Parts: sequence; C-alpha cells; structure tokens
Amino acid sequence: MFRLKQLIIGIGLAIVVSGVIVGIVSAESQPMTDAQISQIKSSCVTAKNTIARLHANDALLRVNRGQMYESITTKLMAHFNARVDSNHLDSKDLETVTQNYNTALTTFRTDYQTYEESLSNALNIDCTNEPVTFYDAVADARTKRSQVHADVVKLNQYIDDYSAAFNAFTTNFYKLSGGGN
Amino acid sequence: MEEPVVVAAEAELSFWDQHRYILLIGISIGIAIFLVVISMALYESSGAAQLDLSRPGYSSVTSQAVKNDGDFQAYPTSGALDKSALDQFKGLYDTQAAQARAVDAFNGDPLSPDVLELSAPPPSQ
Repeated sequence: MFRLKQLIIGIGLAIVVSGVIVGIVSAESQPMTDAQISQIKSSCVTAKNTIARLHANDALLRVNRGQMYESITTKLMAHFNARVDSNHLDSKDLETVTQNYNTALTTFRTDYQTYEESLSNALNIDCTNEPVTFYDAVADARTKRSQVHADVVKLNQYIDDYSAAFNAFTTNFYKLSGGGN
Repeated sequence: MEEPVVVAAEAELSFWDQHRYILLIGISIGIAIFLVVISMALYESSGAAQLDLSRPGYSSVTSQAVKNDGDFQAYPTSGALDKSALDQFKGLYDTQAAQARAVDAFNGDPLSPDVLELSAPPPSQ
C-alpha cells in the first residue's frame, strides 16, 4: 500500500516536472516570423563579415591573453610557491589559489575552444539558404562567448586573490621574523 | 663428350613478389596518410588549431600576436626569502596583474542579433 502511494506520488512529480520542462522549451523556441527570416537573409552577408573580423580578433585575444595568463601561473605563482616551500614556510593558501587559478585557466582554454568551433560553424553556414540555422548558430556562439568572458572575469578574480594571499603571507612573515617594512 | 646443360629452375613468383615495389610505395603512402590523419585529429582536438594564427582568415592579426614573452620576467625559485625577495615578487606580480586587468577580454555583446542586424524589423505603424 505504502509502495503504491510512493509510485503514484513519483508519477505525479514526473508529470509536473516534464510539463514545466516542455513549457520552458516551447517558450524558448518561438517560431521565427517571415519578416525576421527575410531580414536575416538580407543582412547576413554583412553579418558574416563582421563575425569573420570578430573571429580573427578573438583568436588574437586568445593567443595574447592566454600567453599572459599562462606566464602568470608558470613564471610567478608556481615559482613563488616553490621558493616559499624551499624556505620551509607555509604556502598552503598560496597553493590553493594557484590550484584554483590553474583550474580556471583550463576551463578558459576549453570554453574558448568550444566557442571558436561554434563560431566557425556559424561562418560555414550558407546563411541565404539556411537563415534559421545561421541565426541559431550565432546565438549558440554568443552564449559560448559570454561563458569565455565569465572565465576571464574568474581568472582576474583569482589574480586578485593571489595578491591578497601574498599580502597575508607577507604580513605573517614579518610578524614571525620580527622584521618590519 | 658433351657436358650436360644445366637449366636453372625458374622460381615461380607470386603476384605480390612481382609487384613488391608498387606494394612498398602503396604501404608507404598508406602509412603517411594514416599519420597525417592522426596529426590533424590531434591538431583539432588539442586546441592547437585555435592558437594557430597562420590559418587562413587570420592574416590581418598575425603580425599583432606576441611572438615571445621574453620581457615577462620569471621569479627565481631558489634563494632566501627576505624583504628584498618579497619586494621583488610584489613588483613583478603587480605589473603583470595590472596588465591582465587592463583588458576586459571577450566583453561586450558583438554577436547580439541587434548588433548584427538579424533581429526582426519593428512592426510598421
């Protein structure tokens, strides 16, 4: 009897949840009007040129910023942590921030790759014949680009966190060594 | 007295024995194609393709890429830790942190339908 009650509640929940999901999906994928389709067809060549320029500029940004983010961890954070460690001092907080930073850097690399693939996909679509597919591909790339920006914000946050951890370490170091500024 | 004529038995060559050079060239080309396919798969999947600014379409920005970050000074990993060592690190770190923060990379919304003029035109009055 109890099991039957559980089963009925479970089925009821499943129906409610699936109903909500279907509602959300149908709200998101509203059909495109003919006016919008013709608007996409008429301006998609210009849009593709703009996207191609953005594609190149973002690639440059990825190379230059990526190199800088990479150097910050390999040439500064890791080296300083190693030096603190070799002096038998506590580098735990610094290492935690470095670890988080490295994880964020890996996510940034992966997300950029996904974004670039998505943007290349949009550029390869024949937008005059497949305007809706083109529109959807651009929308997908847009979402992925905002994710890459979120990754950059996170990386900058960890750069600040490391700075804060370094300041805390310095304060503690001077306190322990009895030295001052 | 006549000497017996010795006739060497002609070895019977198989099809592949007769075409071994063609076989060699074919196998070599096959191996080369296989290795190229693997290299291309690695090039695409590793993310190296995204960093390769020599690809077509990137020629306008190739010259702006930082070729080496030699001016990015690495902090020495060994040595005593004293005030001057800490000050040195702070100087190096703050410089790079400021440069990292200077550019809000990938900001804005250049792929918005409004920017690309892909939105539906406003209904006429």
